[in-house]
Amino acid sequence: MVKKTINLNVNGKQYELEVEPDIKLVDLIREKIGLTGTKIGCNNGECGACTILLEGEPVASCMMPAFKAHGKNIITVEGLGTAQNLHPLQKAFLAYGAVQCGFCTPGMLMSAKALLDKNLTPTEQDIRQSISGNLCRCTGYKKIVDAILAAAAELRGEHEVKWPVTTGEDVVGSSVTRVDGIPKVTGESKFANDYYFPNMAYAQALRSAHPHALIKNIDIEKAQALAGVLGVYTSKDIPGPNIVGIMPHIKDTPVLAGDKVRHYGDAVALVVAESAEIAEEALRMINVDYEPLPGVFSVEDAIKEDAPKVHEGGNMLLHRKMYRGDIEKGFSEAAVIVEDNFKTRMNEHAYIEPEAGVALYEGGILKVYTITQGAHYHRGEIAVNLKLPVSKVRVIQTTTGGGFGGKIDVSLQVLVALAAFKTGRPVKMAYSREESMITSTKRHPYYMHYKIGARSDGKLTAVQAEIYGDTGAYGSHGPGVLTRTAASIVGPYEVDNLKVDAYCVYTNNPVAGAMRAFGSPQASIAYEALMDELAQKLGISAVEIRRINGYKKGSVIPTGQVLTDGVGFMETFERVVEKSGFNR
Amino acid sequence: MYWENYYLPETVDEVLKHLKDSNGNTRIMAGGTDLMILVRKGMVKTQGIIDIGNIKELKYIREEGKYIKIGALTTHSQLAESALLKKKARVLALAAGCVGSPQIRNAGTIGGNIVNAHSAADTAIALTALNAQARIKGPEGEKEKPLSELYTGVGKSFVDPTKEIITEFVFETPGENESTAFMRHAKRKALALPILNLGVWLKTNSGKNILEDVRIAVGPMDYKPLRAVETENMLKGQPLTEKTLKSAQETIIKEIKPRDSFQGRAAYKTDMVKVFLARAIVEAVGDLGGRIDG
Repeated sequence: MVKKTINLNVNGKQYELEVEPDIKLVDLIREKIGLTGTKIGCNNGECGACTILLEGEPVASCMMPAFKAHGKNIITVEGLGTAQNLHPLQKAFLAYGAVQCGFCTPGMLMSAKALLDKNLTPTEQDIRQSISGNLCRCTGYKKIVDAILAAAAELRGEHEVKWPVTTGEDVVGSSVTRVDGIPKVTGESKFANDYYFPNMAYAQALRSAHPHALIKNIDIEKAQALAGVLGVYTSKDIPGPNIVGIMPHIKDTPVLAGDKVRHYGDAVALVVAESAEIAEEALRMINVDYEPLPGVFSVEDAIKEDAPKVHEGGNMLLHRKMYRGDIEKGFSEAAVIVEDNFKTRMNEHAYIEPEAGVALYEGGILKVYTITQGAHYHRGEIAVNLKLPVSKVRVIQTTTGGGFGGKIDVSLQVLVALAAFKTGRPVKMAYSREESMITSTKRHPYYMHYKIGARSDGKLTAVQAEIYGDTGAYGSHGPGVLTRTAASIVGPYEVDNLKVDAYCVYTNNPVAGAMRAFGSPQASIAYEALMDELAQKLGISAVEIRRINGYKKGSVIPTGQVLTDGVGFMETFERVVEKSGFNR
Repeated sequence: MYWENYYLPETVDEVLKHLKDSNGNTRIMAGGTDLMILVRKGMVKTQGIIDIGNIKELKYIREEGKYIKIGALTTHSQLAESALLKKKARVLALAAGCVGSPQIRNAGTIGGNIVNAHSAADTAIALTALNAQARIKGPEGEKEKPLSELYTGVGKSFVDPTKEIITEFVFETPGENESTAFMRHAKRKALALPILNLGVWLKTNSGKNILEDVRIAVGPMDYKPLRAVETENMLKGQPLTEKTLKSAQETIIKEIKPRDSFQGRAAYKTDMVKVFLARAIVEAVGDLGGRIDG
């Protein structure tokens, strides 16, 4: 391809570069100029992490050919302020807790700057409008809005943002300055995809074409022959057992699927090439001969006797029983019994930073810089599958752009390690948003049957529940999640007699695993609705029935544990009642 | 690799020359906010791009005689902030302000929005309500087409971006006793396709109590912005009363054919069309200082 000359001014500095005519602006900024503060979250112009200012206006640099900036001025987060001389917006973001994972922060700051450059007296509505193209999964936006209001006040010369936050030695009970805050507002923080090494190669995985199929043959010959391809690997190339799984007794997930695929997210081959584009092209040249199998896509179907088996041992991964007290006696004491079925949907964590990692194999040491919420677990899986002693594997957690439980499981860590191990080159692997969605774990969809009884004074007497969690193609944290549900089957409410059967079921759906509150939210949909119904039937208020049953000091939880200290529920509940004014 | 050649012409004549020379294998890019996704996903293939972003002669919003004229490269942000549109053709300013997000509105253009041929594109709904014409320049010279004739199928535009270019949109400036309104219903306030969008232009008598003329555009209903012609005919000459609004609501649900989609179910869209049609008429009439009589 014939390169073209582009001229542009970035953060006040003039650049003249020879680049490919189809390079995108975000890639030019990150890879040719080396300013990695601008992030790639979706490559679709939806998330706003790549926001930069073009002639003062915020635009999505992931959607823009670089040549649209030819002859123009650009400002990135690196042009806002430095660690020594922070812009009021940067100070305010730190002071108000608007920076958490930090991945959306650079784009958010750019949108905020564009607003304040035009309007120093914005209303909250103006601010919300200005950042409406920037997604954040950590803060809930409130802190960001507050920070922008505070920065505007400082820029108007009214009052300065209090910074730094920490004063003196005594930090207990007071706000403290975030230790990794400054690099997150200046764009200097290095997320996994921000690592570049000389001579770096790129890996990409071929994903399954079927939700359930046998693999008859994988023809990699053509892909291997493509110029720029360093290697194409399949399950046969993995030195170790080719199996991972976060729960030590449930290792059921192949690194590269060998004889069978169980969902669309399964990787069947790995390509390592001189560039991500070549790797992508090589993926299209791999020919996989599948024999499609009937699949199961709901718990109802999966538990049928003649259902297709996702794994050899059958689709029932776990039956957790939590029985306590005397369930029949409990219901016989009840003045009112309510009963219903509930269903919840799958949720995606949607951290703004997609999975990424860079691996290096040097001097017998395999080093992996990667997103993770469990570096030690990932290190173990890499060591086992590459047959290396654990002492020769290092997993370095990079600044991680949101996880919410979704970055605990192994995603690309073993794959990128394999790529470096085989080629001897530094190798980067970065998922697209689509690949992240297909492969990452989700919140378990639930099917629940509940029956709850209460005395006429509102006290709960018995709970019976059958819970089915769809864990998808692999176990992941499923058994843990279902166990947690059983243990918090009526959340923060006391009940002495209970019979809970929780089932974790395999299907050919995306894998479900850990996600914020780990099995508790699904149950709350059911029991909170039924608590309201009980209150209605008993003629007491929804608030009162929760006061009667809420955990207090000395309460016994479903597992039999006695709560002795720091229970906190009633205090929290009363504050919610007070603040919301709800009293029905 | 997306494309091999990239041109940055500064005049429409240069664009036409590139199009002619490249013989159909090079296409025009305006803001690129839709095209970049299509190219990345392999749904559009092209050897070259003619980026028209630097053509200053296509960036304007102006009033000329009885008409408002809008250059095809005007961005959604410029439309949304235009004092002229806010005052005289609010439906278009409001519609443009609903597109995507600030980042998308700063890059995306009205010409691109129309050639992308999404039937519920907000500006397309507004332009349809305004009865706009598009001016198109191609190898055979210049032609004018009403907006409704720019759609040839789902996502298919009459305008071929490898051969021709939309240069301008023209519509009659709403005059005395004429007003417009735009309504949009979506799951979120940004970055969400509409469950329903609706644009209205109307004209009352000088007493502001009789509807003399009206145009109603609705999306997403068809492969192109739907004109609710039967409802328009029913409304013409009617007094501005609750009863008239009720009749209009009953008429419009018979002539629209919503589909179940990710955005919402057909039955829900049908219910909502009634709500938003009434709101749009109330708002447009209210703007003229009139009101709906009980």
